[in-house]
Amino acid sequence: MTIMLERPHASLRERVADFLFDEAEIADAHRYEDWLGLWGQDAFYWMPCNDDDIDPDMHVALIHEDRMGLEDRIRRLSSGFAHTQQPRSRISRVISHIRCGELEEGLVEVRSVFNLTAFRRDRFEIFAGRQIHVLRPVENRFEIVRKTVYLVNNDGYMSNMTFLI
Amino acid sequence: MNPMRGIDVDRLVQPDRVHSHVYTDLTIFEEEIERIFTQGWIFVGHEGEIPVPGDFRQRTMARQPVIFVRDQHGGVQLLMNRCTHRANAVCHLERGNQPAFTCPYHGWRFKLDGELAVVPFAERFPEDFDRSALGLRSVPRVEAHRGFVFASLNPDVCPLKDHLGPLVMQELDDIADLSPEGGIDVTAGYHRLRYAGNWKLQVENAIDGYHANFTHRTHMDNVRFRTGFDPAPLTSSAAPARIHALGNGHCRWDSSSLNKSGTRAFPGKTPDPGAWEIYLDAMIAAHGKERTDYLLSKQGSHLYIFPNFSYTGAHFRLFQPVAPDETRVTLFPFLLKGAPREVNRKRLRVHETFFGPAGGGQSDDLEIFERNQVGLGASLDPWSLLTRGVHLEQQEADGSVSNQITDELSNRTIWAKWKQMMGEGAMA
Repeated sequence: MTIMLERPHASLRERVADFLFDEAEIADAHRYEDWLGLWGQDAFYWMPCNDDDIDPDMHVALIHEDRMGLEDRIRRLSSGFAHTQQPRSRISRVISHIRCGELEEGLVEVRSVFNLTAFRRDRFEIFAGRQIHVLRPVENRFEIVRKTVYLVNNDGYMSNMTFLI
Repeated sequence: MNPMRGIDVDRLVQPDRVHSHVYTDLTIFEEEIERIFTQGWIFVGHEGEIPVPGDFRQRTMARQPVIFVRDQHGGVQLLMNRCTHRANAVCHLERGNQPAFTCPYHGWRFKLDGELAVVPFAERFPEDFDRSALGLRSVPRVEAHRGFVFASLNPDVCPLKDHLGPLVMQELDDIADLSPEGGIDVTAGYHRLRYAGNWKLQVENAIDGYHANFTHRTHMDNVRFRTGFDPAPLTSSAAPARIHALGNGHCRWDSSSLNKSGTRAFPGKTPDPGAWEIYLDAMIAAHGKERTDYLLSKQGSHLYIFPNFSYTGAHFRLFQPVAPDETRVTLFPFLLKGAPREVNRKRLRVHETFFGPAGGGQSDDLEIFERNQVGLGASLDPWSLLTRGVHLEQQEADGSVSNQITDELSNRTIWAKWKQMMGEGAMA
């Protein structure tokens, strides 16, 4: 289901919102291959650790992955042997405060916030934060060039965070 | 002296098995906090975390709040995070750099070495008020080896070198000497983890070759997919790799045989050959060819120091017991002083692939610990077995005892030390 294809005359903001909602639905449903398909070949996924304002190169991250790393993540999750997702976390996220602007070379930067509730083995957890997507228009859709997720608890003691954020 | 209240250590910990209660019982947990984490030596941090005066980190020792700080004279201090006036915490940030610690309640101000410098409106205290006796309380014993700082709340604890022993000190030397300058930089941040399980589940897992092919099957599969090389035989019962008991409950997993085959060499995660050559040349210039070959063959070895330290190649860890079924673990990925930026950058990338809450390996360990705590609740047969390889242990020339990598020598040596510290009269 790709709603944005049905709304070719929508504004840029409407189209990027549709994309973020699609991504959220795909991730919440653990549709791993579909999620990987949202990313470009030059993808970079970054989730800083300890603080938001750190050096991506020389400070440890929660996630620091290029396309190959994302493929490895998806292969692992799809295998049935990732114990952290056996059983899977039940997850549901709300995306809001979507704002976007055009960058050079046709890229679009999208800022938004999210609130994700996870439930697994009788334990609720909340993951919240803001995210920045850099999207590239490709034919009638977008692909993710860069995604950065700033968790409010990125300096907290964390347990299993192996579902798709 | 805090007598054991009806805890029969000899029954709970036997040479070939341990009882579930050692992982689940609150009374035993409280005794561990007292006997092991208060009376003994524990790991608290590395000097490389706080390189300049004013740098500090909050830590806990036996659940008590302490400040790990570089003082105004360049020394390393461990101070109780408690104002000597009315017990307010004087440091409320997890980490940072400050010129002093000022109590927010009544304004008492302490220098970085703990000395009380300012008492507002001091004239209203009685005549015998002695400011010099009211500095922040120092942890009584703090000693380091190659920057690794250990401490004890027990002023009468043995010297650190007796706790570590020569074999462990050599292992710490080998970690520090991975730097051409002989020192590590611990300013690259932390992974902070928690799991709903006993702290000793992490302890036993620190040196456990048997679990790798099963718990970490997805990692093995990814290595096979990316490199065409199957790493699973390296942690099978046919592998040449060994576990060594180093005395006092400390142990090591010698993975030099794994390294030669490049298990961790994911494409894209190894440094550019040019940067690696620069690093190699610097290492050989600093340590000589023979020692450099030896040090690099050990990359990825695991080390466990009783009770709360482990090392796994790209990082070391600190274990923090919170409750019988609640544990916090801090991972310290570190950089090598004098190595090219590219080499250090790739160390972090290798670490992130496997470790941390979103990584593809360690997250499964935490899941296994939580399932372990569930299983320990079954009481009909309350024993965990420790017998693997017990009849195949070997005495080594360096004084260590060794076993094949999938054997349970590490569990046995850890439990023997635990029993010694928890047994009757251990604190006499």
